[in-house]
Amino acid sequence: MLALDIRNLNKKYPNFQLKDVSFQLEKGYIMGFIGANGAGKTTTIKSILKMIHIDSGEVCILGKNIAEHEIELKQEIGYAFGDIDFYTRSKVKTLTNVIKKFYKNWDDGAYYNYLRRFKLDENKKIAELSTGMKVKYSLALALSHGAKLLVLDEPTSGLDPVARDDLLDIFQELIVDGEISILFSTHITSDLEKCADYITFIENGQIIASSEKNEFMESYRLLSGSESQLHQVKDQLISYKINSFGFTGLIHTRDFDPSSDIRATTPSLEEIMIYFAKKEDMYV
Amino acid sequence: MYNLVMKDLKLGVNPWFFALPLLMGALMLVPGWLYFLVPLYFCWITIPNMFAGFRTQNDLMFTTMMPVTKKDIVKARVTVIVILELLHLVLAMIYGMITIRLYPNLTYYFFAPHMGFWGLCFVMLAIFNVIFISMYYKTAYKYGGAAAASITAAMLFAGVAQWLGIQNSFISDTFNGSGVDNTALQISILIAGIVIFIAFTMIAYRIAVQRFLKVEIL
Repeated sequence: MLALDIRNLNKKYPNFQLKDVSFQLEKGYIMGFIGANGAGKTTTIKSILKMIHIDSGEVCILGKNIAEHEIELKQEIGYAFGDIDFYTRSKVKTLTNVIKKFYKNWDDGAYYNYLRRFKLDENKKIAELSTGMKVKYSLALALSHGAKLLVLDEPTSGLDPVARDDLLDIFQELIVDGEISILFSTHITSDLEKCADYITFIENGQIIASSEKNEFMESYRLLSGSESQLHQVKDQLISYKINSFGFTGLIHTRDFDPSSDIRATTPSLEEIMIYFAKKEDMYV
Repeated sequence: MYNLVMKDLKLGVNPWFFALPLLMGALMLVPGWLYFLVPLYFCWITIPNMFAGFRTQNDLMFTTMMPVTKKDIVKARVTVIVILELLHLVLAMIYGMITIRLYPNLTYYFFAPHMGFWGLCFVMLAIFNVIFISMYYKTAYKYGGAAAASITAAMLFAGVAQWLGIQNSFISDTFNGSGVDNTALQISILIAGIVIFIAFTMIAYRIAVQRFLKVEIL
């Protein structure tokens, strides 16, 4: 079953456009949603949650269309927006008491379990929580109302490496049962190398690829060679950089002749992102 | 809807604004004052401060994330405004009754706090609501323009009504003169005011919903 099914999402702004965004997330997996700043990650997420009006397209969550079952589905979605705070001068306890009334499947036992596990003090004010704690608090809320799909917008941005690693471990524990699915947008690609099952890559409002993580990384090759070798492959390269030793560039595996003597390695997610961003610059 | 109202009462609205009607209402005890000013304090103080609070606390984003419809979001907010307005008016009325008994032989230059006058106050707040609520929900966060326009309109109404009350002998008679003893007349003015208040607030709610449905939450 698909936890999230997005088809042909279009949204036009004066200076930016989401073009035919489609991707699917299988239930029980973590999908990393990557892209540079301004590539359209948050716009896509807000379209999924019906916070902005889409021009066309369809969003189905857990098999139901969000346009028709918005309220029902929102009961089953948990959110964490890394950089947005609400009622920061209120205590965790006060905020929880208000929020829990909205959810029919709220489980107090589970909530206190998560508070203990995440070492959250419910007498603290939101403003007193560290960035990592705020994300954990959002997670505790989401999990206590039995969310089946977690939509996390940059939950690890602004966290130190230890807190990030801790959070990633939690994500992986959550999906073990196969009930919970996570869509997780970030520009910190190393996080996804650790925990994501699928990668969806968005660049300038368009989905470049959406596939299983290793398959995604294997579908590109990072080439490095001398300037004379550059001429052999220049036309097939997605983009390249020239340095004093020659060049490095990104190419689709299918366009690359493995018998060539150019040195090829599997790129990291970060390298894929960087070379795609460079491609955009080249056409401008 | 109920949960949203409770959210505003517990989180969104500073408790001070529930104490304010008690304090501002006490201004009714000033003998022979321009009593239209008393409910206007709600428009001047409570409304801008309350909506500034909603904006700084990211209330719109918070509310949208809850499993609620946009229609209910507006309905709850209108309910909260009406609760506060009623609190202001009812408390002022109680103080007004005390005033009338406290100074029985006072000559009123402005409207005296009889039931007819409270009918006019309801109309004033009705005008305020219809402009403020419908303008605010164009964006659901910019309250400045909406507050300025609605407060101006409410004050204009109060000014014109009071001016007529002084200049026009019929109106003066109805609200301050012999009409005061005509309980049926006084009650009908009050009821008419309340009916206008309900009607205008309903219209404001409908326009606000239509506008809010088009708002994108950023």
